[in-house]
Amino acid sequence: MDANSFGGEEFAVGCILSIKTTLGDEFDGQIITFDRPSNILVLQEGIKSVSGPRRNIRLLKANYIKEFSYLGQAEDPLNSKKCYLDLSALQAREESAIRQAEIEAERLGVGVTPVAQSIFDALSKTLPVRWDKTAIVVMNEVRVSSPYLPESVAGGTPAANERVRKVLELERKRLQSRGGSQ
Amino acid sequence: MNLQQVANPRPASNGHGRRRVERENVSKQELKSVSGKTKPSRLTNAGAPAGSKTGGYESPSRERLVYLTTCLIGHRVEVQAADGSLFSGIFHATNAVEDFGIVLKMAHSIRIGSPQGQMSIVDNIGKGPSKTLIIPAKELVQITATGVSVTRDGFTNDLQHVKQQDIMLDSSISQSRHGEAERQLERWVPDEDNPQCPELENIFDGNWNRGWDQFKANAALFGVKSTFDEELYTTKLERGPQTRELEREALRIAKEIEGEETQDLHLAEERGVQLDENFDIDEETRFSSVFRGVDDSGYYEDDEVLLDSQNTETFGGASSSVISKSFANLTSGKSDDGDQVSSCSSLKDEVQGSVSSTMRDLNKSDSSDHSRQLLSESLSKNAASNCDSRIQENQFSEQLGINYLTEFVEKKTLAEVAQKTKSEDLQSSLRTMKDGADIGGHSMNATLYASTSLGSSKGQEKTSSPGELKDNVTPAKPQGAATQSARSRGRPGSASSTSERGGAATTSSGPGLSPSSSVGSLSSEKSTLNPHAKEFKLNPNAKSFIPSQTPLRPASPVADGSFYFPTNVAAVPHMHGVPVGIGVGPSFAHQPVVYNPQMAPMQSPQAYFHPNGPQYGQQMILGHPRQVLYMPTYPPEMPYKGRDF
Repeated sequence: MDANSFGGEEFAVGCILSIKTTLGDEFDGQIITFDRPSNILVLQEGIKSVSGPRRNIRLLKANYIKEFSYLGQAEDPLNSKKCYLDLSALQAREESAIRQAEIEAERLGVGVTPVAQSIFDALSKTLPVRWDKTAIVVMNEVRVSSPYLPESVAGGTPAANERVRKVLELERKRLQSRGGSQ
Repeated sequence: MNLQQVANPRPASNGHGRRRVERENVSKQELKSVSGKTKPSRLTNAGAPAGSKTGGYESPSRERLVYLTTCLIGHRVEVQAADGSLFSGIFHATNAVEDFGIVLKMAHSIRIGSPQGQMSIVDNIGKGPSKTLIIPAKELVQITATGVSVTRDGFTNDLQHVKQQDIMLDSSISQSRHGEAERQLERWVPDEDNPQCPELENIFDGNWNRGWDQFKANAALFGVKSTFDEELYTTKLERGPQTRELEREALRIAKEIEGEETQDLHLAEERGVQLDENFDIDEETRFSSVFRGVDDSGYYEDDEVLLDSQNTETFGGASSSVISKSFANLTSGKSDDGDQVSSCSSLKDEVQGSVSSTMRDLNKSDSSDHSRQLLSESLSKNAASNCDSRIQENQFSEQLGINYLTEFVEKKTLAEVAQKTKSEDLQSSLRTMKDGADIGGHSMNATLYASTSLGSSKGQEKTSSPGELKDNVTPAKPQGAATQSARSRGRPGSASSTSERGGAATTSSGPGLSPSSSVGSLSSEKSTLNPHAKEFKLNPNAKSFIPSQTPLRPASPVADGSFYFPTNVAAVPHMHGVPVGIGVGPSFAHQPVVYNPQMAPMQSPQAYFHPNGPQYGQQMILGHPRQVLYMPTYPPEMPYKGRDF
């Protein structure tokens, strides 16, 4: 957080810069704002600002800028008159996003191999599955534990068992062929 | 929780001006406390900053930064850390007071940086997403977010989007009112699991044009030349100097209609009216069931008088846009025969009674996107009707399936017609009236049949109707004042093209549009006929047609001994002295067969090829010595070849 050495003029609002970061990222963007005390530069990606309501925003710590070049100057991308914050909407959005993420998180097995995960994903397309530690539980009846071969299918009614076994075989085959063709 | 007045400097430095009062925010200042509560910031007037704690924070740039970070709340962002790790999570909070360290929720790492320097963020690799991830400012390199709504429009979108996420309504996806001009379309890629369709890549590669013209390919491969003419199936689009204006007018009217308030739940939903969440309405009622209590497109009797007066001034000039508008309304979902009929008539000054219906429709139509399309289409596409004098009206009528008959108007029969819910009656009465009218113009015929056909086929593709109209018009022209039934049947006979369109055949030929399912649907809808419509006055000159199941010609001597031969019989070997006929089983509904046993044996029976309708395989009956009279069941659409009996 050293005091940044860049002159304020170069970081005027609306400037279009091409930036390289110390970590190797390169991008162009239009400055929305630059906050000196925190040293954060806020950019809007895309030179022709997608001036719809949705933009790609990037907040960059200025001290990670390796080099930059000035590309041009455009007008302020942020129209002050249109700025509006609806907190309740934001909260709602956050909550729903978290809910979504949680749902997705459930689908990920913890401490499972990628193969297992892909089997899980494939099975979940047609069957209700969930994780139980490292075992895949299908329809709450049938368990498929490591190494997730058709032989490792256990439990459930014979019909369900058969079904899961079949699906598993199919998925395995698919994965193999896909893996091989890649 | 201490609320810094981050956002206050009022001197309009840098031209940023005042922030809006709505800009509350700023509570996300605690690193640790991840409460979602926010407190409104206190925007003080100019002069306050000096005394505030936020000494160095009054710059507008800081404001902006805070504003933007607030916009990010709830958004999925990617955060890069100093060691190169990349995390993806939902932006939750930032320490806007100090150094802008951030807090993410449900974050997971995308990339692990090299473990040099401080690795305070670490170790949720393989452990699944962490509920809360804190990235101190020192580690922070950059935050990237895509598709952030920064301005008010974006927020409105978001709000609605969030609300409707549970049920992804079509209206929320497709409605252009929601601000975004287009969705970001992603190119479809086949599932990875299915490597068996590689050819898809080739054909659909590239842009929409694809570089492959199916018609050219067909012509090259099979020598098939396409004879498609769009104007056969729809009204001709007249692109003239009027087009822009008409389009604009149509749009305006459409917007007006769509902006109307409505009591109908479904309409409201379509128009984007958000239903109050507290209403305890189940999904079925909300989205699917047909509501039978209130009919938006129906009549409101008490408005009749008012509407009458309005009508004249509205329709005084009979401006095309207004006409089309009313027509469009009528063709919208809930209108039925009565509506259509009466509304069309309203455009004629002579008719008073049924005017109200149009006005009502105008005011309260439950227009949908369908009607809107019709509007714009109708305005821009004007059918190239053959009718000379009535071109304008005919266009609209045929486009919109309105029964536009001046004769009706004059006879004030419209009301009567309107009151008939059965399409059969409608047809017959129309025909009757039309008959006596002694068609002033061929257009009358055209519109009559257009209307009948259109009325019946309202549910069908709109495009079919203009085609029908054209066909109907042409044969109508050379006609004299034949009997109505004759005419009705003669037409389909002459127009061979009607054979392909079962709808056309049915409607133009007779009453009782039973084959037309749309008609059935029309008549089944709640009747909103105008009880105040003018009374039907029978035209004594009209020939009444009674549809019956009995054959029209019971064994009467046929002078020229016409036989109806199916077209697929090339030659009929006939024996002398034996009347030859093609036996028709009861299943063959279209073929009227006259088998006259009393007839003298014919040397060469003339064959009449029945052009209409599908030709079924015939049972060939030869050499029947006995007297056989075939009494085929005459379906209502049996074409009558102009015979008087």
